[in-house]
Amino acid sequence: MLSKRAEDGGCWEPEGCGQWDWGCPETRSRLEEVFFGDQDVIRRGSEDCRRFWAFFERLQTFRKPKPGPEAERPPEGPRCPALADLPATYDPRYRINLALLSGDGEPGPGPRGAHGRLPRDRLAEFRRAVLHYLDFGQKQSFGKLAKLQRERAALPMARYRQHLLQALREHQVVVVAGDTGCGKSTQVPQYLLAAGFSHVACTQPRRIACISLAKRVGFESLNQYGSQVGYQIRFESTRSPATRIVFLTEGLLLRQIQREPGLPQYQVLIVDEVHERHLHSDFLLGVLRRLLPARPDLKLVLMSATINIGLFSGYFSHAPVVQVPGRLFPITVIYQPIPKEEVPTSKVERLDPRPFLRVLQAIDRKYPPEERGDLLVFLSGMAEISAVLEAFQPYAAHTKRWVVLPLHSALSITDQDKVFDVPPPGVRKCILSTNIAETSVTIDGVRFVLDSGKVKEMSFDPKAKLQRLQEFWISRASAEQRKGRAGRTGPGVCYRLYAESDYDAFAPYPVPEIQRVALDALVLQMKSMGLGDPRSFPFIEPPPAASLETAIIYLQDQGALDASEHLTPIGTLLSQLPVDVVIGKILILGCMFDLVEPVLTMAAALSVQSPFVRSAQSDVECGTARKPLESDHGDPFTLLNAFNAWVQVKSDRSANSRKWCRRRGLEEHRMYEIANLRQQFKGLLQDHGLLAKARVVTGDSYSRQQRHRQRQELYQLKRRHEEGEGRKRKVLRLEALEGGSSSGEEAEVSGSQAGDGTHHVDIQDVKFKLRHDVDQLQAAASSAQDLSRDQLALLKLVLGRGLYPQLAAPDQYNSCRKDSDQFFHTQSKQGAVLHPTCVFANNPDLLQGGQAEAQKNQGPLSDRRDGSSSQHQLLAFVSLLETNKPYLVNCVRLPALQALLLFSRSLDTDGDCSRLVADGWLQLQLEGSEGAVRILSAALRLRARWEEALDRQLARQAWPRGEDGAATAPKTERKAAAALGRDLLDFMRSKVSYSIHRLTALEAQNLYVGPQTITAAPQLPGLFGEAALTPHETKGGYAVTSFLTYNCLTSDADLYSACLRTFWSCPHCGFYMPLTPLERMSHESSCPAAPDGDAHGASEEEEATSGRQASTLRRAYHCEICQKDLLLTPTEILRHRRLHV
Amino acid sequence: MASSSEQELRGMFECQVCGLTVPYSYVGQKPPNSRTVVLLEECYVLKDPFSSDKDRFLILGSQCSLCSKLVCVGPECSLFYSKRFCLPCVRENLSAFPQEIQQDVEKRYALSKTGSRKLDSRT
Repeated sequence: MLSKRAEDGGCWEPEGCGQWDWGCPETRSRLEEVFFGDQDVIRRGSEDCRRFWAFFERLQTFRKPKPGPEAERPPEGPRCPALADLPATYDPRYRINLALLSGDGEPGPGPRGAHGRLPRDRLAEFRRAVLHYLDFGQKQSFGKLAKLQRERAALPMARYRQHLLQALREHQVVVVAGDTGCGKSTQVPQYLLAAGFSHVACTQPRRIACISLAKRVGFESLNQYGSQVGYQIRFESTRSPATRIVFLTEGLLLRQIQREPGLPQYQVLIVDEVHERHLHSDFLLGVLRRLLPARPDLKLVLMSATINIGLFSGYFSHAPVVQVPGRLFPITVIYQPIPKEEVPTSKVERLDPRPFLRVLQAIDRKYPPEERGDLLVFLSGMAEISAVLEAFQPYAAHTKRWVVLPLHSALSITDQDKVFDVPPPGVRKCILSTNIAETSVTIDGVRFVLDSGKVKEMSFDPKAKLQRLQEFWISRASAEQRKGRAGRTGPGVCYRLYAESDYDAFAPYPVPEIQRVALDALVLQMKSMGLGDPRSFPFIEPPPAASLETAIIYLQDQGALDASEHLTPIGTLLSQLPVDVVIGKILILGCMFDLVEPVLTMAAALSVQSPFVRSAQSDVECGTARKPLESDHGDPFTLLNAFNAWVQVKSDRSANSRKWCRRRGLEEHRMYEIANLRQQFKGLLQDHGLLAKARVVTGDSYSRQQRHRQRQELYQLKRRHEEGEGRKRKVLRLEALEGGSSSGEEAEVSGSQAGDGTHHVDIQDVKFKLRHDVDQLQAAASSAQDLSRDQLALLKLVLGRGLYPQLAAPDQYNSCRKDSDQFFHTQSKQGAVLHPTCVFANNPDLLQGGQAEAQKNQGPLSDRRDGSSSQHQLLAFVSLLETNKPYLVNCVRLPALQALLLFSRSLDTDGDCSRLVADGWLQLQLEGSEGAVRILSAALRLRARWEEALDRQLARQAWPRGEDGAATAPKTERKAAAALGRDLLDFMRSKVSYSIHRLTALEAQNLYVGPQTITAAPQLPGLFGEAALTPHETKGGYAVTSFLTYNCLTSDADLYSACLRTFWSCPHCGFYMPLTPLERMSHESSCPAAPDGDAHGASEEEEATSGRQASTLRRAYHCEICQKDLLLTPTEILRHRRLHV
Repeated sequence: MASSSEQELRGMFECQVCGLTVPYSYVGQKPPNSRTVVLLEECYVLKDPFSSDKDRFLILGSQCSLCSKLVCVGPECSLFYSKRFCLPCVRENLSAFPQEIQQDVEKRYALSKTGSRKLDSRT
């Protein structure tokens, strides 16, 4: 042995000794040098090279008992000449149809110095080994290919290929109906391509399906179409000019129709999963039905499960149906209704896990652990999942036969991915899932299904404009779908926790989405697509009339539709933004005050799922780590802080943002979504001329080169990751899961590994850095981090105006209640509570400024019903969600009086304006009529200016792009906006003491004095601008502006107070006269020395120009109703039209 | 991206024994991009769809040296023993082949029977 290394550092003895060691690193290195060069099939150091050596070792052990080399010649028989020259002695190498040039005697490419030092026969032996390896690789790949082709041919869909193509030649619309596993989604697109169709679009309800189908179809077609198969989803596209088929979401196709109604870019449309009846797919079908006559050359394929096929076929004038049988293994159904005593008696009671546990035990008794097969449990929601999880875990730990995993959409992505991991042998995986596993997520290896028969679904109450999450029995179609999940890979068993009679009583199909959600986005899109009155649109199944009405009224309330239900300029813009109307408004408003960066972030953050992980809510450490991010202004500000802080971490190259997020219980994936979304918003705002296009900052050539190099590196990382095909399935660990759902430690380990510099690529991070200029983001974030108090206040105002009328008032007794018992009331919903994630839920005192101060003021002398303060607060909220209670989600606090004066669509006053009623539900009693009048008239002026500024902004948007004005707001305009911002802030700071009171139903009924007999308007030139006072027809009093009605409130005080003149001296000009309150207001608003005027005085020039600009916005308008020719701005036109309604 | 243009498809290869139909991109003995490997027969070749490496090729099949039928390289259709032979031809001339091949063919035959049965039960 010792002698081995004696000579020349080589590993072989002189010839003839036979002591050759293939394992010697030096020998290997030399062989690699000879055979595995850059030109060779196998390259040094590659994965392939490693695989070869593993193969080589196996080959060596296999070769050891070498048979005698001399096999006898085959027996002579009748031989044809072609067989005559077969080799006389058998050698396996004759079975290989490859030959290797490298390492041969002939000069191979490159210096092969080591060549000569290796014995010839060893080289030959090694060459044979390489050939065997290559041959083995060929066999493996061919085996895969053949299997793939066999499987494709064996799919039920394959037998209907000709049938489908024939039907499509003869008809414009064809319905393909087939159940899970029939292969329609993967095969139909390929058939179309092979049949010569191109420009095919295939819609999917889910983004993830677009990606996976594009990959699968590309793979199955053996990449023969290469880049011709692509996908397009919100932030990602692999589409290129070569693309012949694209998988995209329904929403995206609708957007394309919105841009080009004829869809000239497609020849064939495939709408997949139509039976799922998503809002977008239902709407898409309606739009396509209208489009087809205009595009007779366009083919449409609807693909559906075998559910309700007649409905789809009938909708398209009895389109032919190609019905394909599914491919499921037989499934045994066992009905096990829950015994009465275990049924929860009330809504609040927790789910009893005992019936579920019994099924687990039954499986253990009946099926030996060697027989693999996992269990999928369908539960209605997260609370139910955790109840069952809690009960299963001790059992799993005790038996060591189960790994229990939850699956729902609020889980982090890594936790969701766990369900695809495989359990160790002898252990079953038990997945506790919401209905997400019914269609969206497919898990292989499931043999048992346990169906609770329940689902929690969002329903929409059009009356209260309230989202409600309620538990329902599932439909028969869903029950079958759930059952089918047990029979994908082999025969299965489905346990149903209900009786067969229950099943028979289920609704046949789930309620289509269009019948249970808010329709404002849909109506807005319909309007912008010019589809006419949504009430008469031929939906496949129309939504409830009340939902449509609510949506229309809502859009009118939001200013997106005018009284005659036409799109307003702001509505047109909103319809282009793929966000909730409210969020769109915030974006538009934010552009005006130079608050774009923070507003983009907030709008994006409010449009994605909350990044705050729910389970971290109770975690004390998380809570402390989160604390610095929390803002006492409200949740949107907390989100803003969180995102900005995250961007800072991101921009620090050494920091680990993943870890940072985990510490704070943040789902990093949502942060990436926010970053993408805000970029998209920015682009949209720029496209619409609301935002100047950022000038490209070109640094010096060095930094440019550096940036270029960084990007190259990132691209390489991304490519390498894609080649590695991401995540491999892992084996689940029994111990890690025993202690509870916590997989945190495990994650921590992998996280720190990443930090240690092991080559662990965070692909999300790479993609993020490729997509965004981190420096730019960081600059924006840090500018947002030190927002001044003023900017914060303005931001709140923007949010408030966007969110209005989604306002809630705190209950008047909140200050006497426990933190958890705080109640809030909206105009239509009483007794709402704060969502537990809300910053105010833990700090209710932030909202009690008003009440607390009022209590202090209530000295023994003060009036009992007073409650006066200058600090009353209201909450503006993003959504109202009802689960077991109605929750206000994402709240901002606003000073009540100022918010109501600035936003209310209806403001009614009494004679001296000290009593105000906003939108008919909140009454404000101001102290002292003078202050009241002053603040009211200030509000009026601000509203008019704000409206005008908005008009100008929207008008700019409407101008054809490319003109000078479109790119940037004129300087004067920006100055005017800044001045408006300042004045709004002054207004917000104004201190007026008042009490706030929610009107009771009775009070609201008897609110107005009603029409008056004396209709002569008081002559008050200059009051409230130029508006003429007209008596209000229903409320009484005088309509001052479209929203303000003066002196229409009934009161116990005497009716003539309004006519009473008292001596008053103007604080500004010293004017002294007996005046009525109204006359006083009139004077003040026209007083040349008034403080408001002073504020403008500083920029009087601008005022003048802005006035002129407003007048340039005016255009001739002929009113059909009053037959007058007028010169008005767009808003004035609207206001005018409203007068006639 | 570039590979799609390089790997122009030439047509469809169809095995005359099992009917397997696959597009091919090259016919001959020197597959494109593989500088150090040559084929010992005229093969129908496709860029290996299971490898991200552009240079990797996959041999689909070739002509039987006896009956000139186009056959795939699948073990149920053909074998290579210094030349390509389709299995029907091998079986017809079984005695002309060495013992090892004969045994192998027997084994394949038995395997293909159980294999196909297994497949049937799956569908």
